[in-house]
Amino acid sequence: MVAVSFNNVWKDYGGGAIAVKDLNMEIKDGEFVSLLGPSGCGKSTSLRMLAGLEHISSGEIVFGDKVVNDLPPKDRDIAMVFENYALYPHKTIFDNIANPLKQSKVAAAEIERRVTEAAKLLEIDQLLERRPQELSGGQKQRTAIGRAIVRQPQVFLFDEPIAHLDAKLRARMRGELKHLQFTLGVTTIYVTHDQLEALTMADRIAVMNDGVLQQFGTPQEVYDNPANSWVATFVGEPQMSLMEMQVTSLEGETALAFGSYTIEVDPKNSARLRAAGKKDLLVGVRPDKATVSLDESLGSIRGEVYSRQLLGADVLVEVEIGKSRVRAKANTSFAGTVGTPCYLNFGSEDLYFFDAKDGQVIPQ
Amino acid sequence: MTTRASSEGHPALSDQDWGFATVDQKPEIYNPQPSRMFYVYLAMPAVLLLAAITIYPFLWLIYMSFHKVGFGNASDVFVGVKNFARLFNDSKYLQGWGLLLKYSAICLSIQVVAGVSLAVILNNSRHEKILVTLFLMPMMVSPVVAGLLFYYLYNGTFGWYHWIFQSLGILDETSILGSADTALYGIILVDVWQWTPLITLITLAGLKRVPQDQLEANMVDGAGSISNFFHVSLPNIYPFLLIAVLLRFMDNFRFIDAILALTGGGPGNATRLLPVYLFDVSFKFFKLGRGGAIALTLLIVTIILGMILVKVLEDPARKKALSGDTDG
Ligand SMILES: Nc1ncnc2c1ncn2[C@@H]1O[C@H](COP(=O)(O)OP(=O)(O)OP(=O)(O)O)[C@@H](O)[C@H]1O
Ligand SMILES: [Mg+2]
Repeated sequence: MVAVSFNNVWKDYGGGAIAVKDLNMEIKDGEFVSLLGPSGCGKSTSLRMLAGLEHISSGEIVFGDKVVNDLPPKDRDIAMVFENYALYPHKTIFDNIANPLKQSKVAAAEIERRVTEAAKLLEIDQLLERRPQELSGGQKQRTAIGRAIVRQPQVFLFDEPIAHLDAKLRARMRGELKHLQFTLGVTTIYVTHDQLEALTMADRIAVMNDGVLQQFGTPQEVYDNPANSWVATFVGEPQMSLMEMQVTSLEGETALAFGSYTIEVDPKNSARLRAAGKKDLLVGVRPDKATVSLDESLGSIRGEVYSRQLLGADVLVEVEIGKSRVRAKANTSFAGTVGTPCYLNFGSEDLYFFDAKDGQVIPQ
Repeated sequence: MTTRASSEGHPALSDQDWGFATVDQKPEIYNPQPSRMFYVYLAMPAVLLLAAITIYPFLWLIYMSFHKVGFGNASDVFVGVKNFARLFNDSKYLQGWGLLLKYSAICLSIQVVAGVSLAVILNNSRHEKILVTLFLMPMMVSPVVAGLLFYYLYNGTFGWYHWIFQSLGILDETSILGSADTALYGIILVDVWQWTPLITLITLAGLKRVPQDQLEANMVDGAGSISNFFHVSLPNIYPFLLIAVLLRFMDNFRFIDAILALTGGGPGNATRLLPVYLFDVSFKFFKLGRGGAIALTLLIVTIILGMILVKVLEDPARKKALSGDTDG
């Protein structure tokens, strides 16, 4: 219901701990944005600055057309699910969920109706008389979600709201939250370190590492065109493999030198590599675009099976080639075990190219 | 052998556990559970000492309350419940109760409100450390000295407080302690001055432990600082406050030092609270039997009131204690 933006926001906790570095992000009205990154990368800090719980060291945070840097949390009209639930131990579950409504002096009957509705949705309607200490972790987390969704705020802030639910409930809650967000049209910022959550729910994903925003784009963009090698390996499961290669030429055409092999490159990528003029590259390949086999074929690269993991429908084979390890998906009938010689194959049009020096993607 | 080396910290693990050749019995010194009697022996000196200094006088008190205690060569005469029966016709005794309850209720109310408010102010102050030290000072003063201090402050000719109150028009000609209307409030002020810091200190310790995340959640829910105090801080400091109130309550019920220093129970009987009357009966008139009876009733009522107080206040407190830490 309001657009939110970070303009050159820094957060310095002092003592050399800079949690967020020069964050710039414009979140559209009604958009669902996911903040994705490893532990300690500054996701919660960014969210808390939006909520007004943390002072920003410099820059500005804007809601709509209003700079809210100095606005206290109560005047920001936000609802937040905290990472550690932050329930009130002396209140019943009902009163916990009802708290935001009571704060804004909603009529008792209306409170009753809305709390019951939220509790039903979250499957905690049997627990309303209990107190937080009598609930399991997942039930507490659902109570925390209930407290946020019981009211229709300008902005939803979710800090890993379903991290402690079981897989089935998590899948259901993903759907429910997404549905709720869509029907209410509330601008939502959703922190998670689970990329599946980010990829499936968000309109756009902001990938953070070490306090720096790495990339901000749609799930498809982030997956298909990662901005740098870090994003490329962070997003996507199983992880993309990176190989060190050099640009060379083969019979006048651009090609890649990988150990003792020379790999031909398709015309489109070859033009791209030529334009960039870099020599040392990190070349990535996603496991499902690489095949592994015990038989040699045209253009295949010889290696050894390093490990073999069953993924259910297929197996993930890690192939050791020189000092690189490349992951590839194979049929469950793949017979190799650790140490077996095998042959890896991939098409150059499926490769990702990054500058070996700074990890930035080679422009298209 | 490496596994054995790493087990050094746990001598209770026998060789057998590790599948080594074994000695059947663990050495005596490894025995982790000494016999029950061992603890009894350990506790014995403390128990005996406590018995000597608390239980014996207590039994003696009960004995006295059923006797006419004789002095010198006169022996004690058993009088049954006569000492107790007479209390019900003793107007000073009944009035003593009334004054004590009034005094205690007023003291507690003022101290809780002022103490908690001060704690909140201190908690948000940058000069907390210095202020806490300052606030501690009244508590370090001996009650009799505090009494004497206020004796001067209240003095009808040169007392500061006397002058202030008179300028404000609260007092007429008589001094604070000289008038039966105001004397009780005079001694209440002493207690408030001296013991509000105790409540402040205990509450402050409680405020430090109020989980930050609950305060934050409440702010996000739309609460300002006042709602934050009543909805989050207060329930969280409740157990601490309960202890503080109990301490002050029990202390009030045997309060005597400052009154003796200030008024000695007067004017008239205006400040003759029950403990003061008890002191008079026992040590001015040396009616130790009747004094014993008064003391016993005072003790019993203190215990009963204390238990009621705990019952009334405890419920939310216990629930809070159950909840453990911040993850709620
Ligand atoms: N109050 C604080 N004082 C000092 N440093 C802090 C404080 N809070 C967070 N940090 C630091 O800031 C960095 C970012 O923390 P933040 O909580 O935002 O991480 P996060 O991305 O939410 O991680 P997680 O996924 O583990 O929750 C961390 O290095 C952390 O140590
Ligand atoms: Mg976090």
